[in-house]
Amino acid sequence: MSGSNRLAGLKARPKDTTVEEVRRVDEVGEARGFLDRTPRKKPGRKPSPRTYQLHPKVFPEVGEAIATEAERLGVTQGQLVEKMWDLYKSSHID
Amino acid sequence: MPVIVMASPKGGVGKSTCAVLLASEFARMKADVTVLDCDPNKSLTRWASHGLPAGVTLKSEIGRSEIVPTIRSADGDGKIVIVDLEGVASQLVSRAISQADLVIVPMQPTALDAEIGSEALALVREEEEALGRSIRHAVVLTKTSAAVKSRVQKELEEQLRGAGIDVIEPSLVARAAFSELFAYGGDLTAMMNDPEMMTGGKVDKALINAQAFAEAVYERLK
Repeated sequence: MSGSNRLAGLKARPKDTTVEEVRRVDEVGEARGFLDRTPRKKPGRKPSPRTYQLHPKVFPEVGEAIATEAERLGVTQGQLVEKMWDLYKSSHID
Repeated sequence: MPVIVMASPKGGVGKSTCAVLLASEFARMKADVTVLDCDPNKSLTRWASHGLPAGVTLKSEIGRSEIVPTIRSADGDGKIVIVDLEGVASQLVSRAISQADLVIVPMQPTALDAEIGSEALALVREEEEALGRSIRHAVVLTKTSAAVKSRVQKELEEQLRGAGIDVIEPSLVARAAFSELFAYGGDLTAMMNDPEMMTGGKVDKALINAQAFAEAVYERLK
């Protein structure tokens, strides 16, 4: 092929793309097994983003400190709070 | 400008290779080419990640609901649009075919490829009837032997032509350079001129094959 732009003269045929035409194309395709195979979205609520907020009344820096310590220990924040509660119980309640 | 759609419900027949070869050859002819990667395997996106030839633009992750407007917007820019479709029977395929000026059905010379590929040909014909306009379509045989034309290939070509189906000559020969384009990006000319690119095959012969294929496609778009 030559380097000149011979392709510039090429023209596209006019094509209607009305909703009705797309519907007809879908029907023809479906009849031959060409179905809508768009992946379905995963059902259910999306997980909430982490806020590091243990309780609405906990200051953000306290929440962050607990989150960091939990991560350092390799436990969840809930597990760390449970440990804290045990310590509190042993020193104040028991 | 024309819209060329690569369609076959069978995977691994060479749709992406055809799309890359046409895009790079048409770009070499100074055309602006927009390539739409509609394949979840993202073969063209992988090719583009290593570098696109000058004149080629890629759009990826196009789904069923976006295919028609995306083709129309790309078409409106005065570019050649090449659509690489997924290797399944989906509405995305049928919608893309409805927007085509030329549908190319790549097919390896095997009975299985012919049987599954014929579904795409049948769909084109049914869409022609439903839309009341012709949609030009052709088969290109892929991964053929460079040395000899097999008996199966000869018989398949005869059957296709006997059924009134346009068969593009030349076929695309099984060349290592074609598959290595996806590892290196760019085009065959760049591959041939770069001594650092290690290819297991004859790039010059691959380039001649690709140019002749692009020329045959061009003739069908005039």
